Amino acid sequence: MNDYVRPEDSAYSKKVNRIVVCLFTILSFLCFLPVLLVMIVSVSSKESVRDFGYSFFPHGFSLEAYRYLAASGMYLARSFFNSVLITLLATILGLVLMCPMAYSLSRKEYRLRGVLLVFILIPMLFSGGLVSSYMVNTQILHLKNTYLALIMPGLCSTWYILIMRNYFMDSIPDSLVEAAKLDGCRHFQILTRIVVPVAKPVIMTVAVFEMFLYWNSWYPSLLYLDSNHTELYPLQYVLVNMERSIETITRDAQYMSGMQTYTPPSVTIRMAMVVIVILPVMILFPFFQKFLKTGMAVGAVKG
Amino acid sequence: MGFKKDMIELTLLAVPAMIWFILFDYLPMFGVAFAFKQFTPRPGQPLFKNLFVNSPWVGLNNFNFLLRSSDMPKIMFNTLFYNIIFLVAGIVIPVFLAICLTEVHGKAFSGFVQMIMLLPYFLSWVIVGYCLYGFLATDEGQINHILRFFGKSAVQWYRSPGYWRAILIATGIWKGTGYSMIIYMCSITAIDRSLYESATLDGAGFSDRVKYITLPQLKTTVTTLFILNIGSILNSDFGLFYQVPMDSNSLQPVTQTLDVYVYKALMQQANFSYSAAASFLQSAVGCILLVISNIVVNRLNRDEG
Repeated sequence: MNDYVRPEDSAYSKKVNRIVVCLFTILSFLCFLPVLLVMIVSVSSKESVRDFGYSFFPHGFSLEAYRYLAASGMYLARSFFNSVLITLLATILGLVLMCPMAYSLSRKEYRLRGVLLVFILIPMLFSGGLVSSYMVNTQILHLKNTYLALIMPGLCSTWYILIMRNYFMDSIPDSLVEAAKLDGCRHFQILTRIVVPVAKPVIMTVAVFEMFLYWNSWYPSLLYLDSNHTELYPLQYVLVNMERSIETITRDAQYMSGMQTYTPPSVTIRMAMVVIVILPVMILFPFFQKFLKTGMAVGAVKG
Repeated sequence: MGFKKDMIELTLLAVPAMIWFILFDYLPMFGVAFAFKQFTPRPGQPLFKNLFVNSPWVGLNNFNFLLRSSDMPKIMFNTLFYNIIFLVAGIVIPVFLAICLTEVHGKAFSGFVQMIMLLPYFLSWVIVGYCLYGFLATDEGQINHILRFFGKSAVQWYRSPGYWRAILIATGIWKGTGYSMIIYMCSITAIDRSLYESATLDGAGFSDRVKYITLPQLKTTVTTLFILNIGSILNSDFGLFYQVPMDSNSLQPVTQTLDVYVYKALMQQANFSYSAAASFLQSAVGCILLVISNIVVNRLNRDEG
């Protein structure tokens, strides 16, 4: 994909270009500003926050909030582990379910593929709604207070299946598959040995989207986790329950360190916890951006 | 022989995903019955028996009560109000920015801007909520400190509904614009560059080229995204309206949308029938609008030849 216009082809004169660059510099700044504020506050001293509020220019630097969180024991570590586990399992499981489906849908010799296509398109048009999926998930599938409740809903998406199917059809020559079949390969082997290696870009794209989706997911926790199952909480849900989380962390930290009289830096802890959730996204983002843009380009062109 | 083998193998490959779709998409579809039933479960009996055998049909009663409840006009208004604004703003702003950014000199700059502007899209609403909290918190918030610095009195943002329509719209645009902008940029750069070159030779200025080449070429992408969005006209981003205002009660008049109502009726009031009726309304209206707009767009395209 080429999204670059050579300067000599561009409609902008140098002067206009300068104005547009200014505009976008300001816009990027605005996009990043709120995130920056959270990061700065998380390393501000609590005296600075007390006197000057959540400021971009703190009057004192301190890692106290992070030290406090580190001292608070298992609560946060456990939820970090939960988030990583859920994200990885969901991404892998999602691909394991969707790739073979996409492959079957991409094979022209498969006579049921029209039926199958309709089968996966119907849920895109109509859904049973929150109440019935909640009742089915809790009363028939018994997912309440399990990891599966946070992984299974939303695992497959018609959209991703279609994106993969289109890629398989466009980029894998039929002759390759036919030759493999003549050599006695089964479809499963063709999928794992030929299709998956060739279609790595699109598979990575779907994987990256799924990863962000699950890292950011908190609604299922709100629906399916009770307050006495904190051991299952992912990070996002710890943030949703911020006040109670801070209580727990404070109690644990005081217990661990015996600092009974010490007032916790609760105003900065809040933001430090947010940073812990953002940081992995920010670190991985530049590496994943290529895949994200491929996926978005496919979505834009195929419609 | 080969046909049959293909058939069996390819079906087997599709089965795992089919099971998932049956369990998580098709099984709940029977649950639309919740909207037409007075749900009276008997303990210890399976869900579907409780729903279909033990609960009496009440026809459209649930919808009747739902639509007549005193909060409903406000909830409907909020849902439609925000959705229409996001629908329009989600096309106009990103298309404008995409056209501007495509022509900018320097690949590195463009790439950098795209990356930064895409970031908010990949932050959860929970995170966005706390980013906003940094500005709006009553005691420590950045804005109240600035207000106090200039001798004005602080505002209790999370208790002043008057500001929140603007705040929610700005937040929604902040989060979504970069993503849509990049989608439109992808379709702009897919346009054949020679179209522009010949237009320039014919003496077309920048605005002419945008008007006669770029915008017509973007039409497919715009209509596709429009159709997809119109299908969710009664849905809203639950996170934006529940988590970003920190579920504040005093903000409810401007933050309560149908999704928030569906959630609260289900989880906080255990009012299955109303919640189901509301979410059935969302699905049904969305489905109908999707089909209608699809037909209309197809017809328009055909008329143009």
